[in-house]
Amino acid sequence: MESQTKQKVWFVTGASKGLGLELVQQLIALNQKVAATSRSTSALVDAVGSQSKNFLPLEVNLASDQSVKQAIAKAHEAFGSIDVTINNAGYGIGGSFEELTDKEIRDSFDINVFGTINVIRHALPYMREQKSGHIMNVSSIAGSAATTGWAAYAATKFAVTGLTEVLNEDVREFGIKATVVIPGAFRTSFLANESINIAKEPIAEYTAVREAHNKLLLMNGKQVGNPKKAAKLMIETGLGTNPPVHLYLGSDAYKRALEKVETLKAELEDSMDTAFSTDFNNN
Amino acid sequence: MDTKKVWFITGASKGFGLEFIKQLLAKGDAVAATSRNLQQLKDAANTNNANFLPLEVNLIDEQSVANAITETIAKFGRIDYVVNNAGYGIAGSLEELSDKEARQNFDVNVFGSLNVIRQVMPHLRKQQSGHIFNFSSVAGITGGFPGFGIYCATKFAVVGFTETLATEGKPFGIKATIVLPGYFRTNFLESDSLATSAKQMDEYKEVRDILTIHQDQINGNQQGDPVKGVAEVIKVASIENAPLYLFLGSDALKMAQDKNTALHNEVEAWKAVSKATDF
Repeated sequence: MESQTKQKVWFVTGASKGLGLELVQQLIALNQKVAATSRSTSALVDAVGSQSKNFLPLEVNLASDQSVKQAIAKAHEAFGSIDVTINNAGYGIGGSFEELTDKEIRDSFDINVFGTINVIRHALPYMREQKSGHIMNVSSIAGSAATTGWAAYAATKFAVTGLTEVLNEDVREFGIKATVVIPGAFRTSFLANESINIAKEPIAEYTAVREAHNKLLLMNGKQVGNPKKAAKLMIETGLGTNPPVHLYLGSDAYKRALEKVETLKAELEDSMDTAFSTDFNNN
Repeated sequence: MDTKKVWFITGASKGFGLEFIKQLLAKGDAVAATSRNLQQLKDAANTNNANFLPLEVNLIDEQSVANAITETIAKFGRIDYVVNNAGYGIAGSLEELSDKEARQNFDVNVFGSLNVIRQVMPHLRKQQSGHIFNFSSVAGITGGFPGFGIYCATKFAVVGFTETLATEGKPFGIKATIVLPGYFRTNFLESDSLATSAKQMDEYKEVRDILTIHQDQINGNQQGDPVKGVAEVIKVASIENAPLYLFLGSDALKMAQDKNTALHNEVEAWKAVSKATDF
């Protein structure tokens, strides 16, 4: 029965809005212990609106290794373990290769990639000691199949997918699991301007990129994905025993994942002769 | 006969990069090649060919990259092919590798290539032609490389942005190909090339074992012939409908197939769960 659910300690990043906020609210309602991070504690506390002793709001700069280290130490001190970390913080970045500056791209990697790695680096010592734990990293369907105008975003999310696959192998011997969560479009604030950065200096010739951006932004409010259901499923996955390595969320994510698998399958078949021809000995 | 083509190749003082220089000059093409160390590059290439332009470039420094591209165009008039080959492997679990070590690997493997692409695109768009080859690895398709989490992350990133580059460049007549080698007999796994985390924890027994296998057993016995690998990329450059994914090595192909099959099964097994989160 759901009511007999074990109480676990969760560490959730980017919790002041969107999927992160939904996760925190549901976790508190389920009597789980939640340490949640945001760049601003006041925004986080206001958004969550809970006085529960099981809720620990933390102000964290995810790009800072030390800030993350301290936050995880505080969560462990408050709740006694770190059972599930959900690396949810992230934002979209749009623009062609030429339009996005080195700095704009690095800023997005700071949160979407290095922030996630920082959390993993500092959660693992606790999880290894416990001989248990589950790390869930939120990627995106754009981390499986890339689209025009979102190269930098795709790069960050592909990176998250890749490192999670390896992580799952690296920590298996300690009883720790890793899952990359791959949502399609969910009706959160993600497509509102606050969660998307578009290149500051657009170049007129990139008409297809502009069209791709407009098309996606027009989807705001009409996304097929229900964030409440996504959060519920992620929580069930965190409480469960046999999580998948890749957890696709949404019929759109499923469809694009399948299309990508089939595209790659065809490419691999076409590549067979070429790939084999570069070995020292053909066998 | 083909007219002379102009290539811009990063990380050219050894491995695949150096092999490109040799084969392309022999073919009669023009090659601008970059390295962090000009003398090392000149010594390695060992040629006085007028079609060769060795360049000292710090790929992390965008201005340095911009200067190199300007020099190439000043000397050869255009750039037809870009090969983002520079990169290195780094071994260690995510807990062992420091933030700095992780970022340094991304600097070269990801941000360096993005600097080159950002700076070369205006020229390629003006020409309405060009072909960019980004070196990823089969480790950019499958994370089945324990102890190589950061390296895989960088190579996955290259796959992701190159998929986009292919569609983004199309309206301008610019092509993109992801090069995905398996194990090739270059110096990649040598200690002067492969970085390892400064922190090494005994607890990560399997990671330690895997690294030992790479250094002692795989190094020197890689199936892939770099001469053939480079020849294949050069061949693909002249094809009208060049592939987006160029797998090199039977091992790369098999590992990618295994990954793709496993992923396919997983996607299908969780189909009902995936679909249950819609409104």
